Amino acid sequence: MKKEQAAPVPFRDLGRVRRPETGVGPSPAGATRHLVDWTVGKLLFCAALVAIAAVFFIIVFLLRDGYQIVLDTGPWNFLIGAEWNPAGQHPAYGVLPLIVGTLLVTALAMAIAVPLSIGSAVYIAEIAGSRTKAIVKPAVELLAGIPSVVYGFFGLILLTDWIRIAFDQPSGSSWLAGSILLAIMAIPTITSVAEDAISSVPREFREGSLALGATHWQTIKNIIVPGALSGISAAIILGMGRAIGETMAVLMVTGNAAVIPDPITNVFSPVRTLTGTLGIEMGEVAFGSTHYHALFGVAVVLLFITLVVNSAARIIVSRMQGTARSGPHRALTAAASRIPHAASAPFGRLVSPRASQRCAFLLISLSVAIVLAALGVILAEIVVNGAGAISWEFLTGSPSDLGRAGGIFPAIVGTSYLVGGALAIALPLGIATAVYLIEYTADGPLTRSIRAAVDLLNGTPSIVFGLFGFAFLVLFLNFGVSLIAGQVTLGLMILPMIIRTTEESLRSIPGSLREGSYALGATKWQTTWRVVLPPALPGIITGAILSIGRAAGETAPIMFTAAIFSSRFLPSSLSEPVMALPYHLFVLTTSIPGATPQSYGTAFVLLLLVLSIYLAAILVRRRYNRAKVM
Amino acid sequence: MNGSTILETTNLNLWYGQKHALIDISFRIPKNKVTALIGPSGCGKSTLLRCYNRLNDLIDSSRITGEILFNGNDIHDSHADVYAIREKIGMVFQKPNPFPKSIYENVAYGPRIHGMRDKKALDRIVEESLKGAALWDEVKDRLHEPALALSGGQQQRLCIARSLAVEPEVILMDEPCSALDPIATAKIEDLIIRLARDYTVVIVTHNMQQAARASDYTGFMYLGRLVEFDGTTKIFEDPGEELTENYITGRFG
Repeated sequence: MKKEQAAPVPFRDLGRVRRPETGVGPSPAGATRHLVDWTVGKLLFCAALVAIAAVFFIIVFLLRDGYQIVLDTGPWNFLIGAEWNPAGQHPAYGVLPLIVGTLLVTALAMAIAVPLSIGSAVYIAEIAGSRTKAIVKPAVELLAGIPSVVYGFFGLILLTDWIRIAFDQPSGSSWLAGSILLAIMAIPTITSVAEDAISSVPREFREGSLALGATHWQTIKNIIVPGALSGISAAIILGMGRAIGETMAVLMVTGNAAVIPDPITNVFSPVRTLTGTLGIEMGEVAFGSTHYHALFGVAVVLLFITLVVNSAARIIVSRMQGTARSGPHRALTAAASRIPHAASAPFGRLVSPRASQRCAFLLISLSVAIVLAALGVILAEIVVNGAGAISWEFLTGSPSDLGRAGGIFPAIVGTSYLVGGALAIALPLGIATAVYLIEYTADGPLTRSIRAAVDLLNGTPSIVFGLFGFAFLVLFLNFGVSLIAGQVTLGLMILPMIIRTTEESLRSIPGSLREGSYALGATKWQTTWRVVLPPALPGIITGAILSIGRAAGETAPIMFTAAIFSSRFLPSSLSEPVMALPYHLFVLTTSIPGATPQSYGTAFVLLLLVLSIYLAAILVRRRYNRAKVM
Repeated sequence: MNGSTILETTNLNLWYGQKHALIDISFRIPKNKVTALIGPSGCGKSTLLRCYNRLNDLIDSSRITGEILFNGNDIHDSHADVYAIREKIGMVFQKPNPFPKSIYENVAYGPRIHGMRDKKALDRIVEESLKGAALWDEVKDRLHEPALALSGGQQQRLCIARSLAVEPEVILMDEPCSALDPIATAKIEDLIIRLARDYTVVIVTHNMQQAARASDYTGFMYLGRLVEFDGTTKIFEDPGEELTENYITGRFG
């Protein structure tokens, strides 16, 4: 029955001495292999616990300092007290105006950002040709790269002026200004998450709809957007979380009067947000005073709100993931039943499908144009005015006369120290945690709590990290305002980002590769190290670069932990404070009159630094994508 | 059934969560022969195959009872080294899954993880394994090019070479031709027949002609049970069970 003739080339023996038929019992080599595998697993597990520990410490230290205020004023007076006036004769600590301020600023920002972002997402995913897409997509992502203090600077210099003049108001520092800035800042988040969701709707659904005679717009409206709805909702909520947690930009343009707008729809009224309050008052408060405790109470409220918002996003995503498969199917059948009807009664329509498509695409293009214009105006303003302020002396000298003269060299160095230290802490921990989560555990209560902790860290506003760093590192561990305190704080802040991106790129490695390796007798660690990590590396590097950009541009976490305004010297040890670019820009802009050229120069350098980091990330990703196609 | 047995399965049951995927399976796989497992989709052929190298261990919800003896040793014994088992019992998957490395690195991967450091010896193993998988002539001039640049059939032969490189005794093949065109399929079938001189091959296939052409023994599975196991000629020409005959003659499946 064996077909010998089917084997024309005689099979060559492998020429090796086959080991005698062996059993599969324990052997010394096997024992070492198991031991290594076991040890690595435990080490990774310990790294993953750090994420939980960080969340635990953040919550403990915020509550420890914050619960006092509830004892002092009573919970209701604190939460719904209508007056926040800690400096007055009779100090009042009611956070209601701050909560209202945060909600109003966020709501209006979302009203502006959501239509623009979804329009842009649809444009990038569906309408743009590949060349346009290659320009528009990175451009929108660049918006995410601009540091919030640069937005604040732009807002203060240009936007508030424009509002004051255009609407004939006494001051442009207002709710509206804050919302416009926040909208611009939320747009890249919403757009890129929504675009991912839209792009991942399977091509078959699209083709199925087009094959029924639907127009492109009908397909987008009836099939693609419903199919991507869970992702789009998550995108909106994530953008909202970003807006609520934003500190510097809002603080610089909203006027910061702790009042509830009167009437409530008066967008020109100044408002004050929870984050802004922390940013302004934390630096000047006496340690241990009622005011100090009140600020930690504010941080707890802020953390609670962001927690609720982010959990909502998570619940929506997980609930809709279950139905995501059937969603487009159902939409497709629904569309199928609708389209022939329309075709059989073409005169029953007010607007022809073609006309409505033209109209819709016009609006979509308009939203993209607005987003690009915003980017263009911000970049142009800072580049044109900032480039002039740059000189050799500015880049290499130390500041003098409160930053009105001299250079920003110590700030450039300080920022690189801070970022380098943060990365040295967060990168190993983050990668180890992600590897543990993806490769080493099944879904269990422990994994779920680590993931929840990472999610919580990810949604924690940067100012809360600053507060935690201040309470825990600066005061409790007695580090003082120091380089190391800033590095740890920034490290914690970028940790979730590194974990997330690493997890994502590990997940994108097909399981068949792991099986192929296991089937050869490889251990878990051998498989992870040699088969899974190498192709995941570009994704991990992209994540690391993005987190560098984020850390370099952040002000809030270092404001109370590491940064000083003017220093002629570089730090000589980890326990000394440093200058940093974003903080320098913040102080120059808000507190030093007559330093506008230096502000522009600093903003330009910071922008250039951060944007070139982002550009590097985009290039790495693009190269990686091309390699993957091969 | 003459010749010695390499894998002996006794009263094997497997559950995925609540689903009873394999029911009371008992049979012996003879050494240095090609054994085919056929049956309709979802009958448990692949699941059974993945029991022999304990790849089902990776699925958390799976639970197993019964016994599998490999050369007389229980592979589920608590002292059994799962990595040694997988070294001895190799596997080729349904879709070719070369690692995103060079052709050379794909084949050298297995020996390397099992401690081989000697460059010369590695070169030799790579060459022999590629020859063993009838791929050497096609790739000898581009060993350091990415494996993903190969055609589907070449990739699958590379995966076979990869499993040969760790000197297995048994090679499990899970529908190795289902993603390939007829010409590539014919090459793999030739190879399977030749491999049986030095190895024991267990192949799961959808394709009954393939089982008839390439195997010495055939097992027919249906709804998690092994309905019949016998010499391939016997199964295809004179099956003992009506169910087997119905399947083979295409009345269902």
